[in-house]
Amino acid sequence: MESNDPTVATSAVVAPDIRQSIGLLTRQLHDSLNGLGLTDKVKGWAGELPDAKSRLSYIARLTGEAAEKVLNRVDQAKAQHDHIAAETRRIGALIVKDPVAAVAKGHVMNFLTDVEASTKQIDEHLTEIMMAQDFHDLTGQVIAKVVNLAASIEEQLVQLLIQTAPPAPTVKAASPAVEYTPALAGPVVNPAGNPDVVTGQSEVDDLLASLGF
Amino acid sequence: MANELRFLVVDDFSTMRRIVRNLLKESGYTEADEAEDGVVALAKLRASKFHFVVSDINMPNMNGFQLLAEIKKDETLKHLPVLMVTAEARKEDIVMAAQQGAAGYIVKPFTKATLEDKVNLILTKLGLK
Repeated sequence: MESNDPTVATSAVVAPDIRQSIGLLTRQLHDSLNGLGLTDKVKGWAGELPDAKSRLSYIARLTGEAAEKVLNRVDQAKAQHDHIAAETRRIGALIVKDPVAAVAKGHVMNFLTDVEASTKQIDEHLTEIMMAQDFHDLTGQVIAKVVNLAASIEEQLVQLLIQTAPPAPTVKAASPAVEYTPALAGPVVNPAGNPDVVTGQSEVDDLLASLGF
Repeated sequence: MANELRFLVVDDFSTMRRIVRNLLKESGYTEADEAEDGVVALAKLRASKFHFVVSDINMPNMNGFQLLAEIKKDETLKHLPVLMVTAEARKEDIVMAAQQGAAGYIVKPFTKATLEDKVNLILTKLGLK
């Protein structure tokens, strides 16, 4: 039985061509990568991409922890602030009612002690909120590394495109961005099981002490 | 004496410079200036008097190790204590910093108490506190 659907006949004819084209393109890509000496780079990308994934997870974790820490500290500071406000109103009322009794019974003195303690605690919360902002530095360094990886892949792909593109129209290569590439390792994204890095300040102190510093 | 000591805080992230300056201020060290990399830091150190340097390592233009080396080979600056405050947690970096003459090493993230302790310890050793 013969089909009247023209697409069936077309697919049957085109399919081998498509396969052939894909095969040709794959071959060209393979040859181009070899010709450009990019094979090793591609292997490198393959190795770096999981690293980029764990770096992005690190960023998500650090920013999440910072947000959580700030919100918790704000909650605590606000509660203490509300307490001081309420106490101020209460002591104010006592003073208006009977100033001598308010002082004599120790209400005023207790209030002052309470205010001093609360302000000290609020100051600690504010310091912790400030410290939580260190995620900007740590994640910034990690983001710079991921951006550098993406820029490197983009640059190599553009180079590949130029090499494999038909003669006209000419594809101009984007000038490689002059980016700062940190030569150092930066924050340790995944310290577990890595004996070459320290996981906290106590290990730094122990290491330096063991060396006599 | 604490109030008379002048600190230079070197870090490429302005957030971190502000954090360190604020922590120093809370610890009683109110005199501090900032630099965003080693080049700017070195120029400031040569232009005016400082007593203490708190420096990051991973910075553009001139990193913390290079800054430390420049400070230690400069006759007029080599006495300055340099406390490294950095995310570089490799043991080889810590050892290298110590061998190059760093007065202390703090890994980020750190606490207010850690910075305060290290600064006080260094100043006590130097007889500045």
